[in-house]
Amino acid sequence: MPEKLRTILVCQGTGCISGGAGQLQEALSAELTLQKLNAVAEIKHTGCHGFCQRGPLVVIEPEGIFYTKVTQNDVPDILHSLRPGAPLVERLLYYDTVINQPIKSFHDVPFYYKQQRLVLRNCGVINPENIDDYLDAGGYKALRKALAMKPEEIIKEVKDSGLRGLGGAGFPTGRKWEAASQSPGNVKYIICNGDEGDPGAFQDRSVLEGDPHSVIEGMIIAGYAIGAHHGYAYVRNEYPFAVHRLGVAIEQARQRGYLGKNILGSKFNFDVEIFQGAGAFVCGESTALVLSIEGKRGMPRSLPRPRTTEVGLWGKPTVLNNVKTYANIPLIINNGAAWFASRGTEKSKGTAIFSLTGKVVNSGLIEVVMGTRLREIIFDIGGGIPGGRAFKAVQTGGPSGGCLPAEMLNMPVDFDSLTSAGSMMGSGGMVVMDQDTCMVDIARYFLDFTQRESCGQCIPCRIGTKQMFDILDSIIKGRGKPGDIDLLLELGHSIKESSLCALGQSAPNPVLSTIRYFRDEYEAHIFEGHCPAGVCTHCL
Amino acid sequence: MSKLTINIDGKEVQAKSGDTILETALAAGKYIPHLCYCPGLKPEALCRLCLVEMADGELITSCRVPVVRGMVIKTKSPAIDRAVRPTVELLIKYHHERCAGCPASGHCELQTVMSHLKIDRKRVRRLRPPPAKRPIDVMNRCFDYDPNRCILCGICIRTCEAIHGESLLYYIGRGHETKVAFYGDEKKCETCLKCVERCPVGTLLAKNLIEAK
Repeated sequence: MPEKLRTILVCQGTGCISGGAGQLQEALSAELTLQKLNAVAEIKHTGCHGFCQRGPLVVIEPEGIFYTKVTQNDVPDILHSLRPGAPLVERLLYYDTVINQPIKSFHDVPFYYKQQRLVLRNCGVINPENIDDYLDAGGYKALRKALAMKPEEIIKEVKDSGLRGLGGAGFPTGRKWEAASQSPGNVKYIICNGDEGDPGAFQDRSVLEGDPHSVIEGMIIAGYAIGAHHGYAYVRNEYPFAVHRLGVAIEQARQRGYLGKNILGSKFNFDVEIFQGAGAFVCGESTALVLSIEGKRGMPRSLPRPRTTEVGLWGKPTVLNNVKTYANIPLIINNGAAWFASRGTEKSKGTAIFSLTGKVVNSGLIEVVMGTRLREIIFDIGGGIPGGRAFKAVQTGGPSGGCLPAEMLNMPVDFDSLTSAGSMMGSGGMVVMDQDTCMVDIARYFLDFTQRESCGQCIPCRIGTKQMFDILDSIIKGRGKPGDIDLLLELGHSIKESSLCALGQSAPNPVLSTIRYFRDEYEAHIFEGHCPAGVCTHCL
Repeated sequence: MSKLTINIDGKEVQAKSGDTILETALAAGKYIPHLCYCPGLKPEALCRLCLVEMADGELITSCRVPVVRGMVIKTKSPAIDRAVRPTVELLIKYHHERCAGCPASGHCELQTVMSHLKIDRKRVRRLRPPPAKRPIDVMNRCFDYDPNRCILCGICIRTCEAIHGESLLYYIGRGHETKVAFYGDEKKCETCLKCVERCPVGTLLAKNLIEAK
């Protein structure tokens, strides 16, 4: 008998599944039996391991042997390599082009070791559909600890940690909880916002798919802290794996007594229900999301209005946080506020999770400490731009964010720096663009998205975003007019100032930031009928 | 209701506590552009035209903010103009109909806003044209709906809700294709026609009832 039992982790994140990871796992299971290796190794499916660019991924623990772009044809070789003395399957290892060597363990791959995976600690490691895996990884310890604390002690801990909401607005989580706990009433609600709708963003989905129990645990702790007994997890209908795995996790948590009545003998009752969104970007806005759960059309309500922590779902005090915000809570309770606050910058604590995509060598799901420089994310973790092309811009914050040029690469990534540069943290989308990207075309793409997703109730957003889109569309088609740049700036300013909700108030950001940093490209299109990036076919 | 004083454009104005800034200004004869405000209905601040500037420079929708003793507000300022004027210009550009022949002409809220802001037609002309005209919807035997005139102020919806408990009319569609339609059973409409009566721009058009029968 071999001396050690191996675990073959097969990534079953959405990216790897689309690359055939489902069939791969079946083939591995079948071959394992065929080669009579069941005593040597077990196969485990996990959530997103992060390095989506190289999927489907297979990791063999305990060594952390890292096989990339694995197909069913590779199965016999992988299993053969488990035999004593057998070599690794070198062709599947990550090949580092800097040191010109294959790397054996993912721990030594730059994409991984330059990150700090705290919230993602279990993603790609545990089986999200097996609560025992989560428990073995220290799961629900924070809940046990929290239930022995007073609610106000928990709120103080969260406040002291400096955690800010990771859905986009960056509101201090502890203050939100405090406000809800002080709102009068016996009925309160917890809502988890998993309505991630930014083009190119998949970080909330990956957390829900990879480590659903950490989100549930965070929600239960939040419920205990504010005195709520019911939680809703609002998940996009377009995320079938996330809905399925969260559903399995909720059921298992109920069976083990982490959800339901008298949780862990504490007399505290709490349950979570999944609510599937119907596919509207604007439903990520808190007041629209609440209306959507109530069965109404998701339309944001104008300020001034009572905060959701006073009048929220069904008119009751409600705490609404993002998926990643809840996933941070067990960490803070387990390790303490000081531990958490020691990470990050003065005003942005902890880590940030990004979906790194676009023209970058290593696309994937990453987690870095707040304050990490854009350059480190894109070049050290992301591996730079493929094909030796030049970096042009990076878009953060999805359609509400802005495009930042190369001069900004040394900027630390935190809530306030990004906002002051004309972009935003948003929920964690990060799209890298190279020299072959036309910035006018990019602005047009995002405005096309927002003008279609506008809920239509306020005039500046409804007509203004459509008008901005039409202007951008005519510019890339070579029909731009002198004065269009000023008109875009004028409209952008008006829409930002006067729109009803954050969708409208941030919708012009892609246009305003590209004019701010890439005005010459607009001018080339309008005055010379020329697209410098060679993208717009009418302007060549 | 206790009385208090607020300062609008440098003039002290009497206000009733509980009233909004917009209500107070209108009662004092001080016009602030607005389209979605309707006396007696809950203000929703959808049109975004009633922006006023607070002492600290912040722009707020005056239809939703109650007066506070000693409040100092401006109804005209460069910042307000930069925010509001493009919105009105866009609205006019997307408003397909000409005023001549419109049943609302003469008592149209959009005309009032236009003349108050002295909208410059030249500035409207530089905007890109709106999408093609849409057909008029036959709502029921009593009234029709012209999506080309509609400013989506929501007054019809809130009126129906206020009178009948739940609105039969609601928004459908997204973005610039949003319009108002019967949501559910249009046969339940009691044809009180209050929605038609309150429509500020002649979007809801009462049919000749005698002819309809």
